[in-house]
Amino acid sequence: MSGLSLLVQMGLAALLALSVSLPLRCGQLSLATPGFYAIGGYVAALLSTRWQALGGAAATYPLPSLLLEMGVAALVAGAVALLVGRPVLQLRGIYLAIATIALVEMLRVLNLNLEWSGGAVGIFAIPQPFAGPGGYLAFTVLLLAAWCWICARLDRMRLGRAMAAIREDELAARCMGIATTEVKLTAFVLSAVIAALAGVVAAHFLNTWNARQGSFDASITTLAFVVFGGSRTWLGPVVGGLVLTALPELLRPVGDLRLIVFGLVILIGPALFPQGLITPERLDWLGRAWKSQGR
Amino acid sequence: MTPPPPPPLLELEDISRRFGGLLALNRVSVRVEEGEILGLIGPNGAGKTTLFNLISGVTPPSAGRILWRGEPIRGLSEDRVNRLGIARTFQNLRLFGPLSCLENVLVGLHHRGRSSLVGALLARPGFRLQQAKLRLQALELLELLDLAEQFHQPAASLPYGLQRRLEIARALATAPRLLLLDEPAAGMNPGEKEELCGLIQRLRQQFALTVLVIEHHVPLMMRLCDRIAVLNFGERIAEGPPEAVRRDPAVIAAYLGVDG
Repeated sequence: MSGLSLLVQMGLAALLALSVSLPLRCGQLSLATPGFYAIGGYVAALLSTRWQALGGAAATYPLPSLLLEMGVAALVAGAVALLVGRPVLQLRGIYLAIATIALVEMLRVLNLNLEWSGGAVGIFAIPQPFAGPGGYLAFTVLLLAAWCWICARLDRMRLGRAMAAIREDELAARCMGIATTEVKLTAFVLSAVIAALAGVVAAHFLNTWNARQGSFDASITTLAFVVFGGSRTWLGPVVGGLVLTALPELLRPVGDLRLIVFGLVILIGPALFPQGLITPERLDWLGRAWKSQGR
Repeated sequence: MTPPPPPPLLELEDISRRFGGLLALNRVSVRVEEGEILGLIGPNGAGKTTLFNLISGVTPPSAGRILWRGEPIRGLSEDRVNRLGIARTFQNLRLFGPLSCLENVLVGLHHRGRSSLVGALLARPGFRLQQAKLRLQALELLELLDLAEQFHQPAASLPYGLQRRLEIARALATAPRLLLLDEPAAGMNPGEKEELCGLIQRLRQQFALTVLVIEHHVPLMMRLCDRIAVLNFGERIAEGPPEAVRRDPAVIAAYLGVDG
């Protein structure tokens, strides 16, 4: 894999980590992210390969068509999240996690067996909006920056505060007048939209899309990003996604040992930093250290 | 003809609550009049907190009616009850621990600051002004409860007594008409209890509040409350002015364990 391609993968992983972290911010452990990622990818793959009008005359796939796909993917994923979220978010803790794993598996099996999603073979020859990985990288960085911005703003908005309140004590939050079901549903829909957008970019970038793209493994991997990076800030999941995606590649020189080292990092990370690598307290401390050095 | 008198602010009619084989509340009726401080006393396990849970929508009653200004509210969720104007504190303290005192109160102010999503995302001046106003309101509430200096501290790091006051500030932030205080003086020393007594009376004045308060310290309740209702084994055994309740034989029997 070229360096640029790895960077694109890291950016997409960071987006998926943000997607997992949003429900976690209100204390909801949802593992549905790969399911919505798959939905986004299929929307992109189907639209761009079946609907000729989107293709245009140029050699590369037109950017407006890509943006259109993203809009459709966001709508579809958001609608599914809204539909599924209401019953599923009644569940708590590990039961919610199990139900969302079931959702991911159902989508995977559907995609594996349906005619129009290409069955086990999947969909090939997805057109390229960018000539090389550089274009993908720029686009992914923009997308990631936009969502980082939104997630950072959440901290200062009533929605973000309500989410934190629900995470700390759902009953108390309700007794303070917060419609907790609506807040949780909003977080779930936002999470689905981020994952679907990442899926659109990934489908074009990988050039092919099939049912293996949204699987139980991916649920665990994306969760590992957030556990490793920390779920209490927007930066934590992003760092987790970037680092844990880069690590297996960076460790390539040590040969087969890399799998052991990777496993150790995932094991030792949460043991040393149970709240994740990045916590609000550590960010505060860093911020103060930075300021005092500037003076 | 004279118009009928306005309905009481809150009226419980023959409320019962059963937990499995335990009848926690048995056909309890209580009226809370606008503007009064009504005390709720009774031995441990008498059903006082259960009554609060029923009023605030945490648990539904097994039977009976709850009327808010004459309208039935039975079956509403906690957030809907809160938005009607009923706020509560918790006997076992349920603050948002890692959040600062200011943020705890800001959560209570949730419904005061509606703003456009775009304005909030782009931090437009309108949004920033509104945020500043909310923070000001939250600080004023903290100031009122003598917590202003701790505004940035995580709620969980406060000493016990201050956490109790923060719970009151957070409840007040939701702009209630009726405030339910569940053992607000628990764990306080006599001096602090005295202060709290004055504080509750001041808050009633300032916010035109009606207060329903659970407390074990009977002398404090005698001074604080306009009326007192007494629960024992899930039944209301007395209701009236403090002096009358204090002399009530049924109350004396319940507290001292005398027969008859």
